[in-house]
Amino acid sequence: MTASAVPALKIQRRSLYPGWFYAPAAVVYSVLFLAPTLASLYFSLTRWTLFDATFIGFDNFAQFFREPFLIQGLVNTVIYAVITSGLKVVVGMMLAVMLTSQIMARGYLRSVIFFPVLVSTIGVGMTFTVLMHPTLGMINQSLALIGIKGPGWLVDPKLALFSVALVDVWKGVGLATVIYIAGLVAIPKDYYEAARIDGATKLQNFFYVTLPLSRPATATVITLSFIGGLRTFDLIWAMTKGGPGFASDTVASVIYKQYQAGFYGLSTAGNVVLFILIAVLVVPLTMFLNRKQGFE
Amino acid sequence: MAGLELKNIQKTYGKVEVIKGVDLTIKDGEFVVFVGPSGCGKSTLLRMIAGLEDITGGELYIGDKLCNDVEPRDRSIAMVFQSYALYPHMTVYDNVGFGLKLAKTPKDVRDQKIREAARILKMEHLLDRKPGQLSGGQRQRVAIGRAIVRKPEVFLFDEPLSNLDAALRVDTRMEIAKLHADLGATMVYVTHDQVEAMTLADKIVVLDAGVVQQVGSPIELYQRPTNLFVAGFIGSPKMNFVEVTVEAVDADSITVTSKDVASLRVPARTEGVDVNSLLTLGIRPHDLLPANSGAIVGRVSLVERLGNETIVNIELASGAPWLAVLDGDQALRVGESLALAAEPAKAILFDKDGKALLAPIA
Repeated sequence: MTASAVPALKIQRRSLYPGWFYAPAAVVYSVLFLAPTLASLYFSLTRWTLFDATFIGFDNFAQFFREPFLIQGLVNTVIYAVITSGLKVVVGMMLAVMLTSQIMARGYLRSVIFFPVLVSTIGVGMTFTVLMHPTLGMINQSLALIGIKGPGWLVDPKLALFSVALVDVWKGVGLATVIYIAGLVAIPKDYYEAARIDGATKLQNFFYVTLPLSRPATATVITLSFIGGLRTFDLIWAMTKGGPGFASDTVASVIYKQYQAGFYGLSTAGNVVLFILIAVLVVPLTMFLNRKQGFE
Repeated sequence: MAGLELKNIQKTYGKVEVIKGVDLTIKDGEFVVFVGPSGCGKSTLLRMIAGLEDITGGELYIGDKLCNDVEPRDRSIAMVFQSYALYPHMTVYDNVGFGLKLAKTPKDVRDQKIREAARILKMEHLLDRKPGQLSGGQRQRVAIGRAIVRKPEVFLFDEPLSNLDAALRVDTRMEIAKLHADLGATMVYVTHDQVEAMTLADKIVVLDAGVVQQVGSPIELYQRPTNLFVAGFIGSPKMNFVEVTVEAVDADSITVTSKDVASLRVPARTEGVDVNSLLTLGIRPHDLLPANSGAIVGRVSLVERLGNETIVNIELASGAPWLAVLDGDQALRVGESLALAAEPAKAILFDKDGKALLAPIA
């Protein structure tokens, strides 16, 4: 055996053996994720039914981007994702700060805030549809008691998407709060004490210590809620079915409608567009949020 | 600069009393070290001085100002934490200047002070780095820089060297001593490491269970401990103890004996000591010498050769484990009998309450 053959043999042994441990997961991943994804990519280039498929190139995509309501769905999706993730970050952080400070019934309040996360989305959607009814809903009736004429939360085309987004925030902020609480309690109290000796006020503590040091939690909340917002379907469907008109349609609800109408190729193309949209927005966002700052 | 005055300082958590009435005067420019075992209350006492813990009872004066209810930022103190507490998202420059920024110090003055602190601590080249890019020793230096930039009247150190390796600890210890000499500031330093305490302090405060056991200079504590706790805590290896019976009492000495110790006449305070009463004899391992006619005889159980000295573990007749630190490489073997002599003037007797019967200084 030559001297140069020895390291080569070692490298081969090192690379092959652990590879077998990946195999079961790789098979499951390929069958359940890679194969359907690649199949979707192919079928998005076809006009297909359950029995046959005709290759039509990028016609589905061209048609998708020609349809104004599909474009509106795309824009709505991004707006929805930005609003829900933004509000979950702000409200989640505020609640977490409150729920990690010395307040009464802290444990109870933590449970109360997390409770909506456990409730079925469809159930939440139906409940809020009733609550947001323009005349009979409890929200507008309550507002009427103090002399305010409530808007048509779900029937006003300008408001419908935002109303659903608010309900999404109500339902999902508990998870964001729990993530933030975990992040906040992990910040060593020495930082706050050092800041206190340096003369920091509570507000300065928040901006100079809490906010920057809870960045990992913020990154997690933004990433999870942004992806969730881009993929949203169930709440929209339960509350507005994309209406009034196409005012609150998102890519996912449009895709569903296309499936219902039998345009399988077009809706598959919509899925691919959604996939690319999520990848294009979330990958750089995640890289930005998780960039090293010299202290990780 | 300012001194400190602690008058009957107490701290309780619920029903648990952790600081039980501490009276202490720290002079302006003095380097005082609080030392004691874990849980003795030394860090709590320091945090009370810093204002990070409420004072349950007593009075704390910094300079002439009663500071019991004064916010930490208004006490003119700076503190170096055990963990350094450097903000990981800020550069060294921003960390050092953070307090000045909060105090709304003009930018040019701030810059000048930060660079001055960096120059003193020889860390100008580190100013643009973040704490994660620094070694333990460099972080320690930044933490000290953050303290000195504010020009406080009192520096507080909470076990600042405990996260450093042994070699770096020695270097940083010397740097802190030099810093004290250069700045001439009042410094209060907490440690459980008696070597740090002995080498740095002008004055050591030995604490146990929230009570000050003794206050004095390092040599005073080593040579004239007032009780068994201090005698056992200060000095490494720790002092040897054995129970003895009083054989004779003279005007300025007590002669004691036991199964382990042949008759030994120890200079001591003799009031209240009766013949046949029981005392505790303490002799430091460094004060024992091999001698054929030595008063203390035991069997060698372990020999640790360190090159310049040999630590011999011996078992006395009563079973008490003793240590002797002997010169050089002693030709001793495990199991053999060893007779040791002690210089009586360096032996200390303790009464049944653990109080040292120290002879008055001539």
